[in-house]
Amino acid sequence: MSNLNIDAVKKNTYDAIVIGSGISGGWAAKEFTEKGLKTLVLERGRDVKHIVDYPTTNKYPYEFEHRGEVTLAIKKENPVISKCYAFKEDAMHFFVKDNEHPYVQEKPFDWIRGYQVGGKSIMWARQTQRWSDLDFEGPLRDDFAVDWPIRYKDIAPWYSYVEKFAGISGNSDGLPELPDGEFLPGFPLNAVEDYFKKSLKDKYGNRHVISARCAHLSQPKQIHFDQGRVKCQNRNLCQRGCPFGGYFSSNASTLPWAAKTGNLTLRPFSVVESVIYDDKLGKATGVRVIDTNTKEVTEYFAKVIFVNAAAINTNLILLNSKSSRFPNGLGNDSGVLGKYVAFHNYSARINAEYNGLKEFTTDGRNPGGGGYIPRFRNLLKQETNFKRGYAAGFGAYRTADTDTSGIGADLKSQLLTKKPGPWKVGSHMMGETIPKESNYVSLDADKKDPWGIPQLKIAIDYDDNDAKMKKDYIEQLSEMFTEAGFKNIEVNDASQAPGLDIHEMGGVRMGHDPKTSMLNKWHQLHACKNVFITDGACMTSTSTQNPSLTYMAFAARAVDYAVNEMKKGEL
Amino acid sequence: MERRLAIKQVLILAGGMMVLPSCLRESGKASIELKNLDIDLDQENILAEITEMIIPKTDTPGAKDLKLHLFVLKMVDDCYEKKDQQIFSKGLEYVCKLEEGERKQFVIDANAKKEQLNGDAYNFFNMVKDRTIGGYMNSKYVMSNLVIWELVPGRYNGYFPVKNI
Repeated sequence: MSNLNIDAVKKNTYDAIVIGSGISGGWAAKEFTEKGLKTLVLERGRDVKHIVDYPTTNKYPYEFEHRGEVTLAIKKENPVISKCYAFKEDAMHFFVKDNEHPYVQEKPFDWIRGYQVGGKSIMWARQTQRWSDLDFEGPLRDDFAVDWPIRYKDIAPWYSYVEKFAGISGNSDGLPELPDGEFLPGFPLNAVEDYFKKSLKDKYGNRHVISARCAHLSQPKQIHFDQGRVKCQNRNLCQRGCPFGGYFSSNASTLPWAAKTGNLTLRPFSVVESVIYDDKLGKATGVRVIDTNTKEVTEYFAKVIFVNAAAINTNLILLNSKSSRFPNGLGNDSGVLGKYVAFHNYSARINAEYNGLKEFTTDGRNPGGGGYIPRFRNLLKQETNFKRGYAAGFGAYRTADTDTSGIGADLKSQLLTKKPGPWKVGSHMMGETIPKESNYVSLDADKKDPWGIPQLKIAIDYDDNDAKMKKDYIEQLSEMFTEAGFKNIEVNDASQAPGLDIHEMGGVRMGHDPKTSMLNKWHQLHACKNVFITDGACMTSTSTQNPSLTYMAFAARAVDYAVNEMKKGEL
Repeated sequence: MERRLAIKQVLILAGGMMVLPSCLRESGKASIELKNLDIDLDQENILAEITEMIIPKTDTPGAKDLKLHLFVLKMVDDCYEKKDQQIFSKGLEYVCKLEEGERKQFVIDANAKKEQLNGDAYNFFNMVKDRTIGGYMNSKYVMSNLVIWELVPGRYNGYFPVKNI
């Protein structure tokens, strides 16, 4: 009997376990398997195989029953996910429906989730901007959260490492606030985006519009062909999954790469209930997994465990990993687990029209997202009545100049006109929010999810700093638009709940001091060294950049460290 | 992997996936299954006449050829609130009671936003016009022949001269 148990344990033992197969878990899997470690990747959702599981990828608009619209019945059943910009008929199968994984909103929070192999890396917006020391030094300089235990020099080589493999398009812009990287050619700005760039440069000097850096293969290299990926075809249907592998996702890139090594075991339909901690050994020994279909519980074991379940679910797993040593959640000696969660403030937009440059329009599609305005507020020193600042998107486009007031043959010829109307321009705010103890996630004492795991309570809100920053964004962008001669400026104060930005971060923050943080500079739990967190949960502060590239670099760096420590016998 | 081989494989996969049902609505049936609306064939035919007034057949197909009335019904049935569906049904009932000539005048008046129109019928007309235009622009015919929608553009030019359109 005991032999059988030993066999069962042996059968379920790997060198490394990675919880989650999204953007950071996929990277952890690639790095471990490439370094020769037998790696188990646990994914709570179904498998999504590259290309074959993208059922809508080659559909024309008229092939969708409702031409892309979500039906009223689905909207009523799913008030939260229906708010997400990408939850449309062509990609809604990649999003978690509201009733599939309930949570408690102590304060309104739109939790946008993708439970499948690849996670949200299938539907992400693919924006990839590096952090600089102006970001890593933010909390120390401006006296909030705790000091990051790393600086740009620690992460810069890992940014380069992941950029080369993922394929990042962008220009070398020479801006210290947004360091250049290993770029494939950037997608060009259009006539009016370039015009606005020049207008800002002339009038402000230190405000810039650059081509948004994005995870698209504008000009693939051998390493991308080796992944079976080819050039981005400017389809802009990315949220459906790309048959060309034109943008980076776990499904197109890291996971098949990991599988090729022969060292990957991928187990879908596996929700992790908790990480198992052994009081005697003083470390984690494995994870307890519930099969989401059969509800059968299985334990898997490994020397090292990476928790990459996506920011909030990583918090959930640690909070639910209770032992006599850690009664309040794994590694939670400090009491900060689940706290200091922050996000990006996306709650303002501004639109206008431009009557110039009418000799130009655009042809084809720009998958890269157009222009990006790096943070310019409080950049080198404090200069406003709020902390930190915001980046902004900027885009310009023309649509056909159609008058739909008529009917009959007149209307028909209007609809078919190819004459373009005025240029339309738009910007959206991407504001840094300040992590606070009062913005937290915790376990509900009574309510359980369908697998018997406590539901998460989420209490995250904007504050006065966010309101002041938003006001400044609206004022500054309005002024910048006015200076550029844009007309019919319309401000959209969207007032959306946190969560809809899909950039929730923190709860398991990094820091120097185990008394005030959860993770050290190598992403190890201070109090349980063989558990690493390299997804959004580890973030000490949020800065303004889209965070995924930073998670990729964190994951690759932490695996490298973990494997070296294992070789030294330290883990 | 060699670049040409990789492209070929992707194209084979992409091409293979394009052989999917593309004409779900063009079954030739007199009517479509509706979950919420209660519409009979006469009403459906009158709705078809109204959509044809909005997008008539010219040297290219019109609303009836493209079965846009069925698209209008589908969208109202699946995507509209109950109260809007009721307005739609009442408006349709109203126009069905009109003589053919009156009905044509009604469409002209409703489009001109004339006052003294039956409220439900006016709102009904706006729903029909909105969805007829949407259905037309997103129809296979228009997207394949008139305002071409490309699945794989493979290019972007941010300085495309308007004179070259």
